[in-house]
Amino acid sequence: MQNDEFYIGWMQEAPKSFSAWIKKYLFVLLTIIIMLGVLLALSQKKFDSGNFEFGKLTEVKGIYFSKPVPVIKVIDGKDIWGNENYITVPLIGFGKHGADGVIADIEKEKNISLEAKEVTLKGTLLYNDGKLLMQIDANDEPLISVADAAINIADLQKIKQLGTTDIKGEIVDPKCFFGVMKPGEGKPHKDCAIRCILGGIPPVLKVTNEEGRQNYYLIVGADGEKMNDMVQDYVAAPVTIHANAVEYGDWIVLYVQQNGLQHYSYIQEHYNSAYVACSANCLK
Amino acid sequence: MGASYSAVGWNRQKKIYDWIIFSFCVVYLATFIVLTAIFNPDYTFETVLIRSTSTLAVLILHVILSIGPLTRLNKKFFPLLYNRRHLGVTMFCIILVHGAFGILQFHSLGNVNPFVSLFTSNTHYDSIADFPFQALGFFALIIFFLMAITSHDFWLHNLSPKIWKTLHMFVYLAYFLVVMHVMLGVIQYETNPVFIIIMIIGAITLISLHLVAGLKEARKDKINYNLKEEGFVFVCGVTEIEESRAKIFCIDKERIAVYKHEDKLYAIHNVCKHQGGPLGEGKIIDGCITCPWHGYQYLPQNGQSPPPFKEMVNTYDVKVKDNKVWLNPMPYAEGTERPGANIR
Repeated sequence: MQNDEFYIGWMQEAPKSFSAWIKKYLFVLLTIIIMLGVLLALSQKKFDSGNFEFGKLTEVKGIYFSKPVPVIKVIDGKDIWGNENYITVPLIGFGKHGADGVIADIEKEKNISLEAKEVTLKGTLLYNDGKLLMQIDANDEPLISVADAAINIADLQKIKQLGTTDIKGEIVDPKCFFGVMKPGEGKPHKDCAIRCILGGIPPVLKVTNEEGRQNYYLIVGADGEKMNDMVQDYVAAPVTIHANAVEYGDWIVLYVQQNGLQHYSYIQEHYNSAYVACSANCLK
Repeated sequence: MGASYSAVGWNRQKKIYDWIIFSFCVVYLATFIVLTAIFNPDYTFETVLIRSTSTLAVLILHVILSIGPLTRLNKKFFPLLYNRRHLGVTMFCIILVHGAFGILQFHSLGNVNPFVSLFTSNTHYDSIADFPFQALGFFALIIFFLMAITSHDFWLHNLSPKIWKTLHMFVYLAYFLVVMHVMLGVIQYETNPVFIIIMIIGAITLISLHLVAGLKEARKDKINYNLKEEGFVFVCGVTEIEESRAKIFCIDKERIAVYKHEDKLYAIHNVCKHQGGPLGEGKIIDGCITCPWHGYQYLPQNGQSPPPFKEMVNTYDVKVKDNKVWLNPMPYAEGTERPGANIR
């Protein structure tokens, strides 16, 4: 540095040697900024293809059932024998809330029970990976019509016992996972998933099989009771569930047995040395 | 230093500095958002905003933390230091967007207050893998907030430089919280090792810069001055100090700057009253010792800022004998007039 050159910020201009040096630094910094922007943007996990039709209300007609979780069974074409197919659309509420409160308010206001009735609901659809859900919001006045079902309800309530099973997966809140948020799973979304489930949105177990294909299971207690509060410590983490599996049309419901929900450690299961077990415990 | 305060004393350099900050931020955000939109057509706006602002803020934080050691290693980096607080406030604004959208997205519209939700949703405070990483980010945001609102010299003077500096040293705690926020959060979700590699490179770069700069200063401070005479210590030859410049000597753990000005030598305490800048690395301009960090000025003969300013530093006795500089490390009270030592 030449002796007569001295930088002071409150002067109008920096000495030439300083400005020349800073220009070189800024060029390097700009290069780093652009490189990092490119690298980080391209290194992100792919966003899920789920969709939440934000701001768009759709009317859906179907038969309402409150158990095992609030759903409407909606006609979805016919099979080759001419029988009507039904898909099950779980209902959820606005924000991080379940649909129970909205349904209860409607039933109280209209002084009717919606159970097993044919209803037309207005709400916001969200869907992904073959699953469709519907958000109903009291502010949208979601109940359009209600009538006695014109079909044999017993047919819709047929279930198929699949037996007791142990299954590994991750508990997610279906509202975020199937469309509202990306990602709607994993550690970054953990707090939100917990808040959604504690708010009444039914927990769902996401299971990824060896081929990478994902299956989804609704979770309730052993007697069909809600277990939203009980899963708080298990959301967005690997878990193993011991449950009685029951098929309700296009959804399988897991009736979790007592003490049937446990944390699962791949490392502990596959590397059963004392050191690894100790390390895994420490991490846990 | 000002006798009164204005919000920001704009000059050409500051305007250029802020335009560069703004342009670089826009370039980064545009690069990240556009590429995400192109290669991830299923993206959601909220997530892209949260990710682009978070990565940009972490990048700026690394730049901010590197400026200090860079200026110690090379004085040409001083233009970055002078307006560093602008960079800090910019980073805080960007982090605020990240934090606000994070809380809105993950904690609002639930059955409890969003801030209660932040601390009570995930309660695995006893676990490393499951640790509630968002709480770490929240505390870092609080530190950055306190730093941003006290970044003006008004607060530096009202809090006192010592308290102000201590508060702003919490940036290192905030950096640690940010690193853990990333490592215990998104790193556990993303599968590409790029993210963790970049964080490690960033941390290693910062630690290395601080170590190298610290060692350089420590080496200077370790020089022993054994030749003593009547309280004076022999420090160097007269010709070793350039005109209008100083040499810094660390005696009894105190750094003293000996300035040469108009055939005289003056000694003052090396630490600027503003932000602790090294006065001995400054220059005499218009008859005043000028701090290299922010341009605060002191008269060499008494260590006082020229009126109407009121900053003062300790002065020392210095004498010249046979072209050798002798310094008495016993300080006079701040602002005490000393005649200086004639060179000829």
